[in-house]
This record gives sequence, C-alpha cells and structure tokens, in this order.
Amino acid sequence: MVVTFVRLKLRIMANGLRGQTSRVAVFVVGAIAALCLAVGGWFVFALPGLLGEERAAGMLLPLGGAALVLGWLFLPLVFFGVDESLDPARFALLPLRRRTLISGLFVASLAGLPAVATLVATGGMVDTARRLGGPFAGLAQLVGVVLGLLLCAAISRSVTSAFATALRSRRARDLATILLAVVAALLGPLQLAAAAGAEHADWDRVADVAAVLSWTPLGAPYSMGLDVAEGRAWAVPIKLVLVLASITGLLWWWSATLERAMVGTAGAAGPQTADTSLPVARLLFRWLPRNRFGALVAREVRYWWRENRRRATLITFSVVGVFLPVVLAATGPGPGPMLLFVGALAAVSLANQFGFEGSAYAANVAAGVPGRVEVHSRAAGYSVYVVPLLVAIAIVVGIVSGRPATIPSALGVLAATYGVGLGLVLPISVRAAYALPDTSNPFAMNSGAGLTKGLMTFAALFGAVVVSVPIQVAAFLLGDVWLWIGLPVGLAYGAGAYLLGSRVAGRLVDTRMPELLAAVTPRR
Amino acid sequence: MTLPVQRQGEAGQAMSLRGLVKQFDTKLAVAGVSLEVPAGSFYGLLGPNGAGKTTTLSMAVGLLRPDAGQAFLLGYDVWADPAGAKKLLGVLPDGVRLFDRLTGAELLAYHGLLRGMDAAVVDQRARELLDVLELGAGNRTLIVDYSAGMKKKIGLACALLHAPRLLVLDEPFEAVDPVSAALIRDILQRYVAGGGTVVFSSHVMEVVERLCSHVAILAAGAIRVHGPLEQVRGQRSLEDVFVQVVGGRTATGSELAWL
Repeated sequence: MVVTFVRLKLRIMANGLRGQTSRVAVFVVGAIAALCLAVGGWFVFALPGLLGEERAAGMLLPLGGAALVLGWLFLPLVFFGVDESLDPARFALLPLRRRTLISGLFVASLAGLPAVATLVATGGMVDTARRLGGPFAGLAQLVGVVLGLLLCAAISRSVTSAFATALRSRRARDLATILLAVVAALLGPLQLAAAAGAEHADWDRVADVAAVLSWTPLGAPYSMGLDVAEGRAWAVPIKLVLVLASITGLLWWWSATLERAMVGTAGAAGPQTADTSLPVARLLFRWLPRNRFGALVAREVRYWWRENRRRATLITFSVVGVFLPVVLAATGPGPGPMLLFVGALAAVSLANQFGFEGSAYAANVAAGVPGRVEVHSRAAGYSVYVVPLLVAIAIVVGIVSGRPATIPSALGVLAATYGVGLGLVLPISVRAAYALPDTSNPFAMNSGAGLTKGLMTFAALFGAVVVSVPIQVAAFLLGDVWLWIGLPVGLAYGAGAYLLGSRVAGRLVDTRMPELLAAVTPRR
Repeated sequence: MTLPVQRQGEAGQAMSLRGLVKQFDTKLAVAGVSLEVPAGSFYGLLGPNGAGKTTTLSMAVGLLRPDAGQAFLLGYDVWADPAGAKKLLGVLPDGVRLFDRLTGAELLAYHGLLRGMDAAVVDQRARELLDVLELGAGNRTLIVDYSAGMKKKIGLACALLHAPRLLVLDEPFEAVDPVSAALIRDILQRYVAGGGTVVFSSHVMEVVERLCSHVAILAAGAIRVHGPLEQVRGQRSLEDVFVQVVGGRTATGSELAWL
C-alpha cells in the first residue's frame, strides 16, 4: 500500500517535468545543488572520524543533527513550502484507513531530493561512529540517522499542516501568529550559543550545549553511535524510545490536523448585517484614487489579508523580519548586515505574486490592464503592509541596540534593499511565474515547484544583497556622515532600482500577458 | 445610417475567426477554426466535452495566444490591437477563478474601475445588477463562499457591467438553477434585441435551440457545421444533428451488462 503512494508521488513528479524544458533545467540544477550539499555534508560529518577527534565528534554530531532538524522545520515555513503533490484532500473519498493514509503520505514525503540529500549527508556520521567505536557504534549511528530522517520529515509535515489548519480559521489566526513568533524566538538562544562559541572559543560551553541537545529529540538520533563508542551503550535504548515517541507524537498530531483539513471548515458564517455603503466605497479605501490604479491597489491590499497563502507569507515575513535583527541587535555586534537581508527578504515575497491568485488574473487580461499599472499597483499594495513594518524594524532595532541616532540611516539601508529587491523580483515574478496548487494549505507546493521557489528566492536574495553592497560600504566608510545622509541616499538608491525593475517588468507583462496567465493557471 | 470606419475584418461581423490553431504539448486542441459571427446575432457554439470550445473562445478574446490564425472582434484585431478589442467586449470565462476573496459588490466595483468607468456609474449599475441577479446588494459574503450558480451569476454581472457590444460567455448556464437560468436568458435576449451580440458555448441542446439565431458545432478541434439555426437543423431536432455530426455511439444494451 505504502509503495503505491511512493509510486504515485514519483509518477506525479515525472509527469510534472514532461515536456517542460525549463522545469527540467530547474530540476537538474536543484539535483546538482542537493548532490553538492549531500556530499559536502557527508565529508563534514565524517571529518571527526577521519581525524580521530572524539571530542569534536561529540559536539558536531548532536549540534549538526539538531541544526538539520530545525532546518526541516523552518525552511518549508519560510522559503520552500511543502511538496503537496499528494494533496491529502484528494484521498478523502477513497476507502482508506487513516493509518494507511498517514503512513503512505509520510513515506511518500521521503521520496524527494531533500530527504535523499539529508540521508547521504548524515551518512558521514555513521562513518565517524564506525571509525571511533567499531561496527556496533556504526550500526547504532545508522539506526539513529535513519530515525533522524524520519523525525525531520515528521516535524516538517506536522508543523506545516498544523499551521495551515490554524491559519484557515479566523479565530485561530492570531494564535498561529503568536505560535510562529514563539517558534522563531527559539532561534534566539541558538544564535546566542553560536555567537558565544565563536567569539570566546569557549568549547566547554559548546560541549555542554551539545550534551544537553543530545538528550532532546533534536540531537538524540544523531548521538546514538557516539554513546556506543564512548561506552554508554545503555543510553541507546532510552534515546530510541525518546525519538520513536517523538515521531509517533508528531505523526499523531499531523493526522489530527489532516483530519480537520480533509473534512474542511467551510465558512460557517453567522447572521450578517447588510452593508449599505456603495460598491466602490466598499472596495476602495478612502485614501485611494477612484480609478483603475486605486481599484488594483485596493484588491491587492484586501488579498494580502484575506488570502491564506499571502497572509501566511506576510506573517512569516513580519515574524522573521522583526525577530532576526532585534535578536542580533540585542546580543551581537549589531544588526547591520542583517538589515540588508531583511529588506531583500521583504521583496522576495513577491517572487511569485501572479501565482497567488492563479487563473483569476484572467480578469485583468480580459480588461487589458497595462503592464506598468499592473506592476506598480502590486508593489504599492504590498508596500502598504511592508513599509510600516520596515519603519518599525528600523526603530525597534535602533532602540534595542542603544543607538537611536542610527534609526534614519538604518531605514535608508532597508529602503535601498527593499527597492533593489523589488527591482529584481518584479521581472522575475513575470518571467518565472508558476502555478500553485488549489489547496487550502498555504505552504503547499506542486512537486518541483518548491525547488523552483527556493532557488528563485535565494537568487533574488543574493542578487539584492549584492546590488546593495555599495550602500553598506558607504555606511562603513562614511561613518558619522552616513547617519545624516543615509536615509535620503538609501531612498534614492532604492527608488532608482525599483523604477528600473518595474519598467522592465511592465514591458514584460505587456508582451507576455497570455503566457503569464497560462503559467499561473493550475493544470487540470 | 453612417457606417463605422472600415477597420480590418469584414463589416457587420461582431466576431471573425480565421484559421485559429492551438497545440498543447502533443495534443492538437484546435485545428484551424474559422467562424463569422454576424453583429446582432445570438450565436451558440456547440460541442462535446474536449472539443476545443473553451480553447477557441479563449483565443478569440485574447486570453490564450493562438499558434496560428487571426481573431477580429468588432473589427479590431485581438492580437494586434488588444486594447481596442477588449474595450467593447464582455467575457465570462469558464474554469477560471474569479477574484474570489472579494465580496460581490467589491468585485463589481473592481471590474468597473478596471474598465475605466466613472465611480458613480459603477455604483449605480453594480447595485442594479446585484439586485436583478438576486445576489444581494448588501451581501458581505466572499465570493469563495458562493454556490456554483451564484459564482456564474456574479461572473455574468462582471461581464455586463461596462455595457459591452459583444458578450462572449463560456458555459453560462452550467450549474445555474432553472429560475436563475430563465432570468439570465431574459437578460441576454433583451441585450441582443438592443443590438448586442452574444456568443456562448454550451452542450445543452434545449437552451441553444430556444435562444440562438445561429449555431456552430465544434468537434475534435474543427467546426463541423455552422450557420443559422433553421438551416443547420433542417427538419430534424438539433440533438439528432449534433449526435450525427459528432459521430457519437448509441448504446446497444450489451455493454456494461454488470450494472
């Protein structure tokens, strides 16, 4: 039965690639990237064994393993989305027991590049354990590594599914936001540990952290072989129970949220009072012009809040965007480079902006909206949310780091990177738009699309950060003068990049409207 | 009567398709469709599932770029001068989502302003349309929570809002209840009587027979028969003509005996 699910998944993946040269290219690039990461990871994890460094192994394996698990938890939420080519809702009518369904979907989710890459990378740990503690240690580590992979998959599935369910109902939305914030805040202590370890080379403290982590589900699967090697074989059964219990618990949680997703929570709207205002006044906000541009911006603004996928994007960005720089400002050397990243990250949310609404874009095509207006209105609609957020980030970071004088120049850096990011992302959003599946899970991706999304996101992020380097260099060289001219220079830099990019994007829309519509229409 | 400036395409044709071709991957969806729709006609495009109706209409209104061929709407070349053609055109696409996170009133306002209409006119017409189509002018429900029939009706309202001269409707009666269907029929008939042109696709013979002045039957991506209804139908029923033209099989009773 499980095999059927895996074959279905592979078949869907293969069909998704058929006859689509660009997708095949992206897939190949992704596969190469995965291969590099896998082999690189293997060597890193095998290194302590090759050198015979038992102490290094004791730190690297639990810490590296825990980082991998956290990666599986966060990357889908922030960057990639989950591959939901096997949409659980499609199995709702089949006579499948929940147990079969969950195990099938779970195993199928392992059939993909990330899982294979993770398994290969962690294979280096098996080698290390074998070299340090003989074949039995290697065997224990192998079991741990496989269980670790299962844990990774279970944690990413259950958490994205739970968030999807939570974001679906209006009541739970606020709760989900808080939860996400808390989860993101967990990154703080990790960063602290990393920063402390790097700065003071205080290996004892790192070793302590690793020792503690190896007794949590995050690090436990990756430290089993070492326990055998260090003569603590009694720890293995305990850790086995710990990990298995975690996986079972996560799968149970996943199946509970899936059940709710499959049954659906279609709008149980209570009695409504009639809205007596005029239609145009209901669509437009008072500050918008009563014309085409105003209508487009108003629709975008409403969509960023009313549509699950967009709301999830927005919430994720606001949490990540606020927490990372604030944590860095409070603990580390200062938020400087992180601001570059945050500004670019804000823009990257628009990388597949046409995919969000899918075939509904046909209305704009049928009305013949000029590309220039289309692109400007979308950027404006998103900026309604993001610009206040960026201002808030600049202020909070300035206050937390105890240097309020840097607020205007920090804002300048944010404006510059946001503008540059938009300038890069807008043409990408037209040229490389792709269809998103028609499900209610905002993190769901078509097979392969997650890879595309990830690659494009990273390319845009990297590009935006690189193009904004002059601003950072200027800030570094000019010193105090920068505090005064940072804001106007940053604004001008960002605005210039935005105008350039939106011009290119507008022309692209004008020439490619039907192709764009076809690209974002899900294949039926 | 003064003739409009002679643009391209034949005078007196609301829609004129010439040799439209569309290939998807390996499948030839539309294999050279040519069709003349006279202004003021009520034109039914008939065809079995998968015949290429939606593909043809999408190419005709500028939603899908044809591999070959031309499409003229009211004399404007859709693919050379999209802005001119789209101004006088109202479209109800099938299988395409609406901006369904808006309420009905918001969607109508959106469409009106998108078409460059004056806000006051939009308000007045939108309320009237919501009222006539019984969608409720004060309704706060998002379109995503509408029933299938209501979605069709709000889509139709969007197509009508800017008072186009040509309406292209893909399956306008699908999923619509009989009462609403009768209402839509009345509205469309009045629209044609007022000089407008309607082109719509369907596979429901009764509706086509009752409404249309002209029909065309599309099968396997090509027009098989076209012309005024009486001429196509002759002495037979439209259904007989359709089944014969499309070449469907009739059940003999021996198959599916296990049912």
